[in-house]
Amino acid sequence: MNRLVRLLIRDLKGSVGLSWHLLASQLVMPIVYIFIMGLTFANIIGGVTIGGARVSYVQYLAIGVVFGQLMLSASYAGAMVFFDKKMGMFEQILAGPFRRWEYFLSKILSVILQGLFGSSVVILIASPLLIGLTPTFKGIIYTLFSLIFASLFFGSLSLLISAYVKTDQTLNIVFNSILPPLTFVSSIFYPIEAMPEPLKYIALINPLTYVADMTRYGLFGITSTTILYAPLLLVTISTITFALAMHAAYKISL
Amino acid sequence: MVISVRDLVKDYGDVRAFVLGFNVVKNPVDIRCRIGYVQQQLSLELFMTARENLEVYGLLWGVDRQERRRRADFLAEIFGLRDVMERKALELSLGQRKRLQVAREFMHDMELLFLDEPTVGLDPIVKRTLLDFIREKAKREGLTVFFTTHIMSEAEYLCDRIAIIDKGKILACGTTEELKERFGVETILELVVQEGDGEIVKLLESIHGVKEVTQSTDSKSIRLAVVDPYSKTPEILSLLSKEGYHVMELRVKEPSLEDVFIRAVRRRESRHE
Repeated sequence: MNRLVRLLIRDLKGSVGLSWHLLASQLVMPIVYIFIMGLTFANIIGGVTIGGARVSYVQYLAIGVVFGQLMLSASYAGAMVFFDKKMGMFEQILAGPFRRWEYFLSKILSVILQGLFGSSVVILIASPLLIGLTPTFKGIIYTLFSLIFASLFFGSLSLLISAYVKTDQTLNIVFNSILPPLTFVSSIFYPIEAMPEPLKYIALINPLTYVADMTRYGLFGITSTTILYAPLLLVTISTITFALAMHAAYKISL
Repeated sequence: MVISVRDLVKDYGDVRAFVLGFNVVKNPVDIRCRIGYVQQQLSLELFMTARENLEVYGLLWGVDRQERRRRADFLAEIFGLRDVMERKALELSLGQRKRLQVAREFMHDMELLFLDEPTVGLDPIVKRTLLDFIREKAKREGLTVFFTTHIMSEAEYLCDRIAIIDKGKILACGTTEELKERFGVETILELVVQEGDGEIVKLLESIHGVKEVTQSTDSKSIRLAVVDPYSKTPEILSLLSKEGYHVMELRVKEPSLEDVFIRAVRRRESRHE
């Protein structure tokens, strides 16, 4: 069996072994957002007009929440490296028949697979609200593309952070300082056209905006200001972050 | 214990070191495929069961499923882990975790094994089981073991060749006997006489082969460093008897590796003073 596959199986076993309850608990937040916040706000907002089309707020939000959740689960890649370092498994594995890049790539692949799985579950849960949508083949490709590259970007970002972080406390501080602004200054909860001027520009450089908009484009046919150059930008920024994460990986001392 | 090849290259430039015939810079993975490593720090998958720890580690090393199960059961038996195999590593005692960590390394085949203080936290029975298991592996399978320890009796029990390392430098290397000889650590004879006095020290010092004589404050207990104790003992006893000293006890204390270590380190320190 390929070395990368062996590492990947270890990661997946470790994640599931960590606790089924923990994985299940990760679904609580999306459900709360979609079914409580989404349905309540839908009564106030009614619908969202974006790119000339109008969709219900809860449908708009459901897609955003998928990516908010994806970002959280992808950040688990960095946590896996951090805990491997802490528990001596990083040194143990690298004293074995593995190269560093294989170790780090396995983390990325692991969060991509977990992200795809988690997103599918959230979409499945939200499916009663998405009835009536008829996504095209191109739309599905767009959605998959967004999910994979979002996992790559956020997974790489978290790996990059974990390479430099030494304590649990710092890890928490860094994640808590980065993830909420990324979530709220994006098009996850609302179209960026509705945001105040300075925040709008910040949201335009946030990859979360692109992946959410691309998926909405794929599933609803909604277009936005970002959709034309979103795939290229997403590939570029994901690749750069991944390269930086790999570079940082080789700086970690045993 | 882990040597970073990158650090070697950084510090020394063109490194031409070989392990098992492979260049450490060009073929590190080829080397690592053939070595086992038990680090001093605990390193386990804490959220996995003991069995999963063994089997997943076997999987990482490419051991097939049936063989993984067979080896896990065998090692559980050897290392006394059978009753805790379905418990998570997090729930195990420190000693059980250490045993699991050491056992785990034998899930794969290797030519070289690095053990960094593997007996820390183990009870004497498990410690002896582990040392015997390693000794048997080395004897039967030709496994070369690098065993790092501060417990000299373990090194003496297990190792064919011993290197004394202090502050990162090898002070001496050889068999136990070679080291004892090199550092001039003599066998100690401990005598207890019925009535001792100051003269007895001079008398013993006059015997050829007796290097150092120390006397207790009550003058009755005497320690002698002797080069060849077994041939000298009759001569010593006969002389003492002739001079009217009645020997009540005689003990032979063989020099230990700890004595060698202390002397080697002190010698180095005295050179640097």
